[in-house]
Order: sequence, then C-alpha cells, then structure tokens
Amino acid sequence: MIDLLDTCLSRVDAEYIEMRGHTRRVFSVVVKDGQVERIVKGLNRGACARALVDGSWGFSSTTIIDKRNLLSILTDARILARSSKPLKKRRVKMAPAEPHVDEYKTCMKKDPRNEDLESLVGEVLDADTEAHEYSEKVVSTTLNLSVVDDEIFFVNSEGARIKQRIVRCFGTARIIAKSKGNIASAYESTGRQGGLEIFKDTPLREAALKAASRAVRIAPKRVVPGGYYDVVLENKIVGLLAHEAIGHTAEADLVYTGSFLSNKVGKKVASETVTLVDDGLMPYGFGTMKYDDEGVPTQRTVIIDRGVVKGFMHSRETASQFGVTPTGNARAWSFEYDPIIRMRNTYIEPRDWTIDELIEDIKDGYILRGGGGGQADFNGEFMFAVQEAIRIKNGDLKESYRGATISGNAFEVLNNIKGVGRDFEMNIGICGKEQPNYVGIGGPSVKTKLLVGGR
Amino acid sequence: MIEIAESAVRSSKKLGVDEAEGFVQRQRVIEIVLERGEIQSERMKIRRGIGIRVIKDKRMGFAFASMLDQQTIQETCRDASKLASVSPRNPDWVSLPLPEKIPPAPEGLYDENLANLTLDEALNMVLEGYEAAKEADSRVSIDEGKLTVSSTEIAISNSHGINLYSEGTFISFYLICVAKEQGEASSFAYEYDVSRTLKDFSARRVGELAAKKALLSLGARRIKPFRGDVILSPEVASEILFAPLISNVNADNVQRGRSLWADKIGESVSARSLTVIDDGLLPYGLGSSPFDDEGVPSQKTVVIENGILKSFLYDTYTANKVNKKSTGNAARESYSSLPSISISNLLVSSGTKSLEEMISEVNEGIFVNRFSGNVSNESGEFSGVAKQAVYIKGGEIKFPLRETMISGNAFESLNRIVTIGRDRRATIMSVYTPPILVEGTTVVSQ
Repeated sequence: MIDLLDTCLSRVDAEYIEMRGHTRRVFSVVVKDGQVERIVKGLNRGACARALVDGSWGFSSTTIIDKRNLLSILTDARILARSSKPLKKRRVKMAPAEPHVDEYKTCMKKDPRNEDLESLVGEVLDADTEAHEYSEKVVSTTLNLSVVDDEIFFVNSEGARIKQRIVRCFGTARIIAKSKGNIASAYESTGRQGGLEIFKDTPLREAALKAASRAVRIAPKRVVPGGYYDVVLENKIVGLLAHEAIGHTAEADLVYTGSFLSNKVGKKVASETVTLVDDGLMPYGFGTMKYDDEGVPTQRTVIIDRGVVKGFMHSRETASQFGVTPTGNARAWSFEYDPIIRMRNTYIEPRDWTIDELIEDIKDGYILRGGGGGQADFNGEFMFAVQEAIRIKNGDLKESYRGATISGNAFEVLNNIKGVGRDFEMNIGICGKEQPNYVGIGGPSVKTKLLVGGR
Repeated sequence: MIEIAESAVRSSKKLGVDEAEGFVQRQRVIEIVLERGEIQSERMKIRRGIGIRVIKDKRMGFAFASMLDQQTIQETCRDASKLASVSPRNPDWVSLPLPEKIPPAPEGLYDENLANLTLDEALNMVLEGYEAAKEADSRVSIDEGKLTVSSTEIAISNSHGINLYSEGTFISFYLICVAKEQGEASSFAYEYDVSRTLKDFSARRVGELAAKKALLSLGARRIKPFRGDVILSPEVASEILFAPLISNVNADNVQRGRSLWADKIGESVSARSLTVIDDGLLPYGLGSSPFDDEGVPSQKTVVIENGILKSFLYDTYTANKVNKKSTGNAARESYSSLPSISISNLLVSSGTKSLEEMISEVNEGIFVNRFSGNVSNESGEFSGVAKQAVYIKGGEIKFPLRETMISGNAFESLNRIVTIGRDRRATIMSVYTPPILVEGTTVVSQ
C-alpha cells in the first residue's frame, strides 16, 4: 500500500501534504456468564490525506483504496483546507522534522498472524468458569479478550516514508456480585503491546479472579462515609490520576488555551517526590510507537521533574507555537481521524516506600483500590470512581466499604503526597479526546490527602 | 446494496451454515471540530462495510470487513463460519428473525438537503453557532464544540428471506462555553441540538443558549450540605434516572440477573406519575426506523405505565429464549458490531408544569443542568458533580452554585419523583424527557 500512497502523493503539489494508510485486524472474544456472547474477526482498511494550505488544515478519508479514490481524497483535503481557511484565525505553522524512512514492528514472541486465534476462546471460557466458581455470590461476569493488529503507513511531501506494525493483546473482566440485596461490580484488566505470549505471562484468569474477589468482598458493604481524609491511593488509581487529571493539562494544545500548567514551566506544582513522565518508547507500553502519526520519532518526555514542570507534549504544530522541538505526541485513532496531541505511556515514577510504610502513620483514613471511570477538567479538578475503600485506623487496616468517588484538584493531591511507593505497575487504558486511543497509564501507590465522597 | 448483503448470505450458505445474515452499511460523514474556540479540524469521511453473522448447529460466528469486493466478502464469510465452528454450542439459540410486514417509514427520518449538505454549508453552520455565542456577551468564550452530519444507508439480508433497505440522516451540534469576569471563570456550560432533518435545527440557538448558561453560572457560591429537592434537567434526568432504567428493562440484563426488576412485571417500580414508552416509529425521532438492525419491524412498547412495570425491551435472541416476540430493539453501532438491545426513542410522558412553576414549588433545593460523575446502571447508585447548578430557596432561584456533589440511587429516586415537568426535550441519548423534580437527594457543596 505504501507505494500506492507514495505514487499518488507525488502527483499533487502542495505546501505540505501527508497520507496515512491503515489496516487494522481485530480479533475479540466476549464471554458473558459462561456463554460466548461473540467471537469477532474483523478487517478495517482505509487511507486518509491531510493537507496544509496557507496555514489551514483539510482532511479526508476513504475505505476504498485505489488510485482514483486516493487522488480524490487528496483533492478533497486541499479543497477543505482552502474553504475553511477564512474561518480560522490562527495560521498553522509546523516545526521542522526530519523526514524518516524507517520501519518498526512490535517485539513479539508469538505473532498472532502465525497463531491459532480460535484457541483463545477456551482460555476466556476457563477464566469465566473460575470467576463463577470463586463464590456463589458472583451473579454475572463479562470477560473480553482482544488482539488488535495495526499496520500503519505514513508518507509526506517532505519525503518521510514509515511503516509500523503495532500489535496489542489485552483483556478485561467485569464481575458483578450480589449480597444482602446489594449489587456491586468490580473491574480488572490485563495486557500490553506484544504478541500472544502476554496471555501466558499475565493470564486473563488472574484479572477475573481479582475482580471476582473484590466484587464479592464489597457487595455486602455499606457505601463509604464521605469526608476529607489521609488516603493511600493504589497504583491503578495513581495511573488514572497521572493520565486523566495531570497528563491532559500538559498536552500543549490544552496548555495553549490556559490549562493549569500554562506559564508554569520551571515552577513547582507538586511535592518533590513526584516525577511524571510521558514515554513513547517504553518497552511493551500500550501506547508505545517508534514514530507518531506525523512521522516524528517518539521520546521519553519528562513533564514534572521532582515537583517542577519541565515541558509539555507537542505535535509539530504546537512545537512551532511554543518554539520547541516536537515530542512525537501527535496520534490518530485510525485513518478516519487527523492526528492530535495524545499521551503515550504516562506514569509517576516509583520510589521506595512499601505499602505498610505508606499506611503506618495514618491515624484515620482509607486505602482506596480499583479505578473506575472519571472526569477531569483542564484546571486539574477531577472526580473518579474507586471500587473499594478500606478504613485505616492508627496504621491498621479495618473494615472495607463499597465504592466511592474521590475528587479535588489533582495538583493539590500531588502537593499533598507524603510518600511514594515501590509497587510500580503499568496498566492499559483507552483514552477519549474527541477520538479514542490506546494509552499506557501507571505509577506506584502513594500517600496523600483528598475528598472522599460517599452518600 | 441489498445485492451485496444477499451475496454474503449466499456465500455463507454454500459453506454449510444453517443461517446467515449480511448487514451492509454505507455512510458519508462530515465532522467539524471546534477546540480552543477555533475550528480545529474538518473531516469528510466515506465509509462502507459489511458484517456477516452465521449460525451453525446453534454456534454463532461473526466477521466484518471494510471492503465490499467479492473476494473480501467470501473471505469474511469463511472467517465467520470458522469462528462459528470454534464457538461453544448455545442451547438457547432458536433462530434469526423471520420476515414480517414492515410498517411504512415514519416521516422525517431522511432529509435530502442534509444528505447533500456541502462542506461549506456545514462550515457556515458552525460559524453561525460560534458567532451567536460570541455576540451574546463579551465575557463568553467557546471552549469546544462539534458538528456532525451523517447520511447512512443500510441493507439487511438473512437466509429466512429478510431483504431490507433504509436510509437516514442525522445532524448534531454542541458547544461548551465558559464565561470569565474579573478573574473568575464560570463552570463549563454545555448546550446542543440534535435532529434528523435540517428543519427545526439551529446552530445559532445552540450558541445563544450556551452563552446564556455560562453567564448564569458566574458568581457561584457554596451552600451547607443538605438532603432535599433537586430538579434534574432533561440531560441530567436521562443520565442519572433513565440510563439505569434502560439498563434494568433490557431483556438481556434481565435474563442474566443484572436487573433489579427481573421479577417486577406488573409491579410498581416508580412514582405513579411516571409513564415511559419506547417508540421506534416516532416521526422525526432520533432513534426511529421502520425496522431494527436485525430487520424486525419497529413498534411502540409501553415500558412503565403510571408507575407499573409493563414490559422489557427485547431483540430476537432474548425474545426467543422466553417465547416472546422481539420488540424491535436490536441496534448496531456499525457494520462492525453485532446487534444488541437498545432503546429506540424513550418517551417520558409530560406533566403540566413549566420549569418556572416547578422552581416556584421548591422550598429548598437545587436545579442541576449538567452532571459529571458516575452512575452504576446495575445498582442505580449515582454520585458526581452537579454542574451549572443553581440554588433555590422559597421558590426562587437565589444564586449559582460552585461545583456541588449530588448522590443518590436512581431506583429510589424514581419513587421519589414529585413532579414531571411539561416541556419535553430530546437528549443525545434519544431519551425524550421533561425536567424532573426528585426529593431526598444528598447535596454536598465542596
């Protein structure tokens, strides 16, 4: 496909133009309550063109790949760029980027293309059986296992020509338990970038059992009483916070509009125990890719270094606005979307506290476990659901409660961090910012203070 | 298009499957995205694809592809058939739907003008909304927004002789605005319009209302926590009351033990004033179509009548399982997904009182325009931030509120409905509801 893209691109004349071709093969199994709900194999293939004309972008995509249709999206993209130009105040300029000619492929032991995917069905069914057998209180289970195999071709009018093949294998488990008339649900996931060996290393059944045990534990419990408390946030929740409440405020397009971190480079925004990184090169990271969707090499980008703001995540467009080098954060979900600034693998770096040390001098507080959904505004205000809250009294774990919401300003939470754990863990995430994308989120458990909302 | 769907059914049958279904979709989509108060991207997408479902000895397989050439379709049929062979046998499987008489398409589902809308026209609509917000007041700025125009054709064919085609159009636009005054920023105000046709659609109105809402939340204050009356806007009522309700009447959830209403047919589940109907044939309805995404005729289903639970919503599989008829509620996100149960248009019967009258009857309470938080559809528990909320005392709006947490339980709240308002509005979820006054909700200002 890349040759066809190149040929079509060379036929048109423009200030800047790029094309991406994308083939996504998916295989997924969903099992609900012992029944295979669906087994799906799918193939999506398409191409897009993005043109820059006098500082205005235009974008067009198609699922029909032949010379005629590719030339027609190239034309559409330029027409769009031209006709939308009068409505745009800002003239886009792109920071220079070296045109790379290169190939990248996910490091895999078991390439899904050479494996019998159908045999994975049994694995999901077994995990489901184990979750149901965990307790009679488990009333419902939904397990999902997915293999997503992306081939992305990138060419631009500056001479870049990049082929990447990125394979992700992952699974999720949602378990619902019923007890004393209450229903509670718990969720766990597994997966990373890589081949099918992932399911040997971190099997779906482990995630399913972990979710089952939590759902059963919290179902009969009361909802946590609300208040402002000393808390230990489990590593999964820290990853969520790092991505959702902090990471987004360091995306240069949001910084530009006045997110919390605007004008804060070089300033202290967190306790000096906090170093926050967005890393595009992390081995096996769910959001890892060698080049972003503008053909810029990715890198390890330090956002907060020991409490102090170092820099932001950039595309070529924002790098030019800020007068810096692009960081390789321009990503697109598919050929149907233009690249925008997205995180890759975002995490808080671990330190050396054990969980016991994090808990020991908390007089009255909670340890919060299991992330849920949530929202955050770009001023740092956030609200997340957590699945379980366990009371801490004078350094000892006491009774556990069902779900809660935590809220506050993420930077206040970072400033309040008194201890950073050693139990570093990366998890998978699918982040939505007008378009979805696969990201890695992670961190260690931390000790801080925040508002726990109950009923 | 029907021919493509039919050919997939034929190819599958040749592979020895018992039943086969082809779902072909063709779409043209324009998206214009506003970010940071500017047009960020404009996209034109041409999209097409096929989803093939086959059943062999009560085992199901499904495969999809974005290409419609004969070779790809045959490969996709082979994939589906192969997946069916490795799928465990499902003893509950009865059959794909059989052909039935399809009602005429309700009025207002397809608008030629919308299907042929040019990019320039779409850009101008966004500009209209944008200018309206800007002109409303100099303190207002636009944070983000999006216009989506789509025109979709679908064809369904199955081995029992269903061969159907339909087309539809859709337009939606939203804006999020913020007002700033002397260093104080209002909370983010959300406003939208959504329609099947250009008639009655106005991007300008979205801009005006979003600006007005943003201005109304300037000067926000805190209040002491209390438990009391909360008026939910149509959007908030959809999210925190009706999303759990929809989940509870979904026959699949009922059959899997995920519904607290599984054995409550004929019993009271809400205040007597509540009547809820799923109407797939509503003219101009956001979720209307002559037939559902399995080819079953759309219909009107009374879900709750005067507080009494009347019916669940079924697709063919869940209906067959309990010897009932499908209510025509099978829906697919696109050709790449299997059908699952969804509402068509959920209509909440209106009361008689205007929003002003509802407010005048509240002694102490709040009116919530927007909700950002978590709702558990299974348990009904909700908890989150009430945005764009105002404080009501002695029947009058006193002042806007700082971000305030509200929490409660949807199923309890459905029983605590005091008043259902008069003015019904279509929400983006295809729930048509007036504002609703609920008592006994916990309100905590941060």
